[in-house]
Amino acid sequence: MKRVGVFVCHCGINIAGTVDVERVVEVLREDPRIAYATNYIYMCSDPGQDMVADAIREQELDAVVIAACSPTLHETTFRNVSATAGINPYMCEIANIREQCSWVHTDVDRATDKAIRIIRSIVEKVHGNEALEPIPVPVTRRAMVIGGGVGGIQAALDIANAGLEVILVEREPSIGGHMAQLSETFPTLDCSQCILTPKMVEVSKHPNVRLMTYSEVEDVSGYVGNFHVRIRRHAPSVNWSTCTGCGDCMEKCPSKVPSEFDRGLTERGAIYVPFPQAVPNKPVIDRDACIYYRTGKCRLCEKVCQIGAIVFDQRDEIVEEDVGAIIVATGYDTLPCADLGEYGSGEVPDVIDGLAFERLLSASGPTTGKVRRPSDGKTPKEVVFVQCAGSRDPERYKAYCSKICCMYTAKHALLYKHRVHDGQPYIFYIDVRTGGKGYEEFYHRTEEEEGVVYLRGKVSKIFRDGDKSVVWGTDTLTGRNIEIRADLVVLATAIVSQPGVQDLVRKLKIQVDKDGFLSEAHPKLRPVESITTGFYLAGCAQGPKDIPETVAQASGAASKVIGLLANDEMQHDPTVAYVDEDLCGACRICISVCPYDAREFDEEKGVATVNEALCEGCGACVAACGCGATQQRNLTDGQIREMISASLGEA
Amino acid sequence: MINLPYYPGCTLKQRSSHLESSAIAAMEKLGVRLSEIDPWTCCGAVPPPSSERIMNLIAPVRMLRALRDSGENRLVTICDFCYNVLKRANHSMRTDDLRRKRVNAFLRENEPVRDYLPEEEPYGLPDYSGEVRVYHLMEYIRDEIGYERLSKEVSGRLEGMPIASYYGCVMLRPRKEIELDDPENPTIMEAFVSALHATPVPYPYRTECCGSYLSVSAPDASSRLAAKILGSARDHGAKGVVVSCPLCFYNLESRQEQIARSSPGFKPMPVIFFTQLLAIALGIDDPDVLGFGMHRTSLEGLLGASAIGAASGSGREKDR
Amino acid sequence: MFEPRIVCFLCKWCTSAGADLAGTSRLEYAPNGVNIRFMCSSRVDPEHVIWAFRQGADGVLIGGCHPGDCHYQDGNYRTQARIALLRNLIEDFGIDPERLRLEWISAAEGSRFAEVMDEFTEQLREKGPLTLAVRESSR
Repeated sequence: MKRVGVFVCHCGINIAGTVDVERVVEVLREDPRIAYATNYIYMCSDPGQDMVADAIREQELDAVVIAACSPTLHETTFRNVSATAGINPYMCEIANIREQCSWVHTDVDRATDKAIRIIRSIVEKVHGNEALEPIPVPVTRRAMVIGGGVGGIQAALDIANAGLEVILVEREPSIGGHMAQLSETFPTLDCSQCILTPKMVEVSKHPNVRLMTYSEVEDVSGYVGNFHVRIRRHAPSVNWSTCTGCGDCMEKCPSKVPSEFDRGLTERGAIYVPFPQAVPNKPVIDRDACIYYRTGKCRLCEKVCQIGAIVFDQRDEIVEEDVGAIIVATGYDTLPCADLGEYGSGEVPDVIDGLAFERLLSASGPTTGKVRRPSDGKTPKEVVFVQCAGSRDPERYKAYCSKICCMYTAKHALLYKHRVHDGQPYIFYIDVRTGGKGYEEFYHRTEEEEGVVYLRGKVSKIFRDGDKSVVWGTDTLTGRNIEIRADLVVLATAIVSQPGVQDLVRKLKIQVDKDGFLSEAHPKLRPVESITTGFYLAGCAQGPKDIPETVAQASGAASKVIGLLANDEMQHDPTVAYVDEDLCGACRICISVCPYDAREFDEEKGVATVNEALCEGCGACVAACGCGATQQRNLTDGQIREMISASLGEA
Repeated sequence: MINLPYYPGCTLKQRSSHLESSAIAAMEKLGVRLSEIDPWTCCGAVPPPSSERIMNLIAPVRMLRALRDSGENRLVTICDFCYNVLKRANHSMRTDDLRRKRVNAFLRENEPVRDYLPEEEPYGLPDYSGEVRVYHLMEYIRDEIGYERLSKEVSGRLEGMPIASYYGCVMLRPRKEIELDDPENPTIMEAFVSALHATPVPYPYRTECCGSYLSVSAPDASSRLAAKILGSARDHGAKGVVVSCPLCFYNLESRQEQIARSSPGFKPMPVIFFTQLLAIALGIDDPDVLGFGMHRTSLEGLLGASAIGAASGSGREKDR
Repeated sequence: MFEPRIVCFLCKWCTSAGADLAGTSRLEYAPNGVNIRFMCSSRVDPEHVIWAFRQGADGVLIGGCHPGDCHYQDGNYRTQARIALLRNLIEDFGIDPERLRLEWISAAEGSRFAEVMDEFTEQLREKGPLTLAVRESSR
């Protein structure tokens, strides 16, 4: 029998406050299956780790159980400790008595009893464990970045500059994302396009970057280090290799649809480049808007193109690539104004969202930076900004804070005041949140020096009356109801996840939270990794954030990828399926259930086999095996039976 | 003729009898007989703000359960308050396990001593868990008759008549429990008005508060609110305001003399129940059925000096 | 009061992570279950469930990812099919099939996990202890 040691962590009072750790140790010391048991206030601290290592040596332990927090947090820590103390890391297991015991119960006796049963169950597991070595797996030293906004661009550049190949996939015809739409950025007021467009060009010209715009990920298979991706390159209906980007076709196109880039403030043709600084600066035909695709007549663009670059029958192309790691930087969307019934359901023309106002402020925008309202092109003299339009409203919209609206609304009011000196901006707010370097100072400047009126309260209703947009709100500081007959209203609509994200996460098999933002592996310690190994997160796809944070997270994700791809080989978890050939009945059910094609059949021997590099250790084939020939390393049916018995036995 | 179980409630038997008489007659024309459930009790009158209590659910659930046990799965009501109370009680039976258990247990224990329920029936029947669908009459017309059919059934009597809809509060709120329409930007009444060939008049105050019971405790506050609502409707070109709630009718119609006293420049504005409008559109002229005698403000501005218009406003003395 | 004993087989990616979230959110629930963590709910062999009942469990909970969310593509569909059959089988053994519960609980649904544990415990309290001839004879 193995000599098993148990180490019970107090985690300060996090465990010891509910679980009587002294009694746990007393009881476990009496257990014939346990050679040694002790407790300590912080097992994960340096002295705690030393205590484990020393005990392994002094007590000649074969295996250890650490009764502490969830294995997602410190399993690796203690397996490393075990290795340094001379035992195989797979002889170390974690018993979760914090998240799944002390934190969720209050009755000390019952929590203590449960903790003992959890520990005994894990003790039975290590008794059955065998020493394992990680399985070496070759790594494809290339990466893919999904999303070509500032986050995706930064991540791609960092990876490319480290000498690794990277594929940058963007759904829209141009990279740039939302940042390309912005006018000036808080708190320094540098021009968004001036700092972004050089990066767009750099990434498109980088020898290590393969840029795929107007493309979407169709399907991802494989696993960390060895992903196989299929990318659909939508047909632009234009031969990009011969197109010179002269723009004649766009001028002549008779079809007109609202420009997405200009938030519907202007129109674009069916053949279009989203904006003049687009990368690549080549047009695509929007087939839903094109007269030819709808009616079979027109082909005007084809007639004006002197090179003959228009290709109406161009087909979507599926590109297959192998990559070792994937960064997801798919960005955000904003809550549509149409969803806000009390604010006019998007039907009041002079009620616009923040991104539309950015376009009005932008020097490259539809009004060349002059503030003109959409309904009649007049300069608005009274402008109301409504913060938290859909944010911090758990009853009806989004419970969370969209984080960037306080700052960009302050910026909007300030820039408006700079453009329209005799104008009056009002801002309705719940709280003003300005966490960030130089942010609070910027807000104070807006409030104190620029004459922006801040009103603390929510807006209850907005409606059109004549050419005015009437805003009803409350000033909760004075307790008065307020009516403002505004010329223009700007809604700081909630930041929401991309509508297509559910579809994408299903393809990638990564997780999202209840709001549709990508889940990180750990909220504090692993904020740039997905729970699924091999996927990394950057930018607003993971949650609302501003540009510097997005860039920082993108660089963080890139460095993780660079680290992962630094070697030609990586270590694969050895807790995979294996076959007792004597028992195998050659029914091949295991082959039919394996989602990874890791189960094969050896015709010569007449038995099923396991490809260890492909096996992810899910155990589906083990449960399916009718004769018990297939087992999972360190989680055999025998081990599970012992664990069940121990968990039900008297504590 | 479709037989539709119908819950009238107290107000429709008293101060708002014209809401009931016009509804019954109009629905007959549409091939639906509103058949009053028997027996019925008070619905509880107002939705109580306390969420822990179950007492307020006993009366509505007892009626809904009896209705289910008699094999019906629909109940229509016209008064907004009754609708709100019945629909929310029903919703709570559908979604709140604890309250469902408690209310049903209470009803079981009490059944033997209640003589207005047949004795043999309730035993052994499963708990009531919201099986009946509670309709507002407007909802029934929208979902079961359909505005398309309605617009074909009605005459052109209301053609082009500019009418403002007033929603009040409890017909739409709380959104998650009522689920009739978007309370911030509703369209059900305007669509109804359009279906009658009249012209809906949009105006900002259509979902604002009429003062509700403040007309008892703070009548001036209620008058101020009513003056704004009616004034805004007039400013936007409406010749009349259509309502569905008896309390809205009282606050906006019956109190116009008080409103005029406290709001200088206020001009009388015809206010009419949606069922009356429906009855007129369906060609009903009988003054007893239309119940214009119950109005205190003349409808002439809306209906003109025609026969139906002239019948209005004559009941002022009677009601006092 | 009778306190039922529950064995919970939880997949690592969703339900166990959800149980961890219940912990980090400090949601209190009945301490009647002990969790056994698998990589995937499809690792649960029907024999494990039967073994648990034999060894004294009054209830068995299997927790996996929501349909379509399985970390291993389609493991939870296999679990669903297996457990549906198993419920028929244990009924023949004289075990109330409601004592075997399958739940889809995601990593974001800590409160759902707590709710299920409370609900299941309450349900098993009402049913009382599971008595099996095989257990009696082995004692």
